[in-house]
Amino acid sequence: MPTTTRLRLLSRIAVAAIVAVVGAGVALADVADDVAKQASDEDQVAAGRYLIHAGGCITCHTEDTVDAVPLAGGRAMESPFGTFYSPNITPDVETGIGGWSDDEFVEAFWNGVSPEGEHYFPAFPYTSYTGATREDLLAIKAYLFSLESVSMPAREHDLPFFMSSRTAAGLWKNRYFAAGRFTADPEQSEEWNRGAYLVRHLGHCGECHTPRNRFGKLLQEQELAGNPEGSGDEKMPNITADPEQGIGRWSIRDIEYFLDIGMLPDGDFTGGSMGAVIDDNTSHLTREDRLAIATYLKSLPK
Amino acid sequence: MRVKIAVCVCSLTVGLGVLPGAVAETTAEDAKDYRTAVMTSLRGHIGAASMHVRGLVDDHGFLARHAEGLANGAAELKHLFAAGSDVGESEALPVIWEEPDEFAKAIEKAEKATQAFSAAVESGDQEAIGAAFREVGGACKGCHDRFRADND
Repeated sequence: MPTTTRLRLLSRIAVAAIVAVVGAGVALADVADDVAKQASDEDQVAAGRYLIHAGGCITCHTEDTVDAVPLAGGRAMESPFGTFYSPNITPDVETGIGGWSDDEFVEAFWNGVSPEGEHYFPAFPYTSYTGATREDLLAIKAYLFSLESVSMPAREHDLPFFMSSRTAAGLWKNRYFAAGRFTADPEQSEEWNRGAYLVRHLGHCGECHTPRNRFGKLLQEQELAGNPEGSGDEKMPNITADPEQGIGRWSIRDIEYFLDIGMLPDGDFTGGSMGAVIDDNTSHLTREDRLAIATYLKSLPK
Repeated sequence: MRVKIAVCVCSLTVGLGVLPGAVAETTAEDAKDYRTAVMTSLRGHIGAASMHVRGLVDDHGFLARHAEGLANGAAELKHLFAAGSDVGESEALPVIWEEPDEFAKAIEKAEKATQAFSAAVESGDQEAIGAAFREVGGACKGCHDRFRADND
């Protein structure tokens, strides 16, 4: 073989080898990226699975029957302003939220606006959720999108005439709703701030426990001081640190234990809607988060 | 002497009142009050037991008695809801008498859970005790959820 031919052949082999190595490298890098992405997707779904409990999504978005499909909607929520039926939030494109983008999802929580640009009634507690972080909301979305799609069209709300249009919801929001993220209070501990975020925003405790004016505006200056109007027949108790009206005599540990198992310090067990909140939500939280909630509650003015 | 006789007659009368087999003339109000009393005793036992389970107090052999008290009270539940006893300030909801089968299931759950808790306490296995206590709580909560008026 002449030298030139041999050189040419060698160079070809070398080029081929380089191409192969580089190619393999690129392919490996792709695989590594995919693996990393998959891992971060899984982490996000796992975070969302937890936050679903912190956000109390299941109770309202699941019908109150024994064989109800979780999160497919249909629960009736009675209020002084009519009866609302929760919608399907499984990833079904037609009847659920399967067609929603990240931004549309976040917009619903932060500003109470649907992807079609309609105003939500505050039965969907965006009044509280507006403080949630984008990261938490997108984790919740990732978890919801990991679920099986269920086809379940939303039931029409049963509302008095003056509430029958979404314009009413828009007017209400204009007057009584202030959008805004949670900002930590640097004067308070990290635990207190975590509790404040969970209680005020994700957990939306005030939606039931804070009194409202006759237009349904939450009276934040009486945060968690109880709502005699409540929901249905239930009166919602005062859960501030007031020793007589509230839970001021409960220790932080008592509150944590109550949120875990449902037992009041005197050995009684709660039922009703708080029983469902404990079963579906707070009993699934970490002890640290329950202690944070208790720490925040104990700090509320008497 | 007269005093002695009086005392004798008295004890005889009291004795007759609690003779086994005697049928009490229980009014609806009595039935309701008795139910409330038993429920209050359950609450006391469970509150005390919870402090043992959570490791807040030392057990001097009394957790077993609280567990036994719970099991005894829970076993009595099925006799506490006589028809017509939803009088006065009763928290018992009408659904108890409207859906007797569902209610029977709910109190049977409480009976079984308290027996299991008592057995777990006997075994001394802390993890089993904790898990069994949680079941007792679930049974109480589950029943109150549907069958007791919201009293908060």
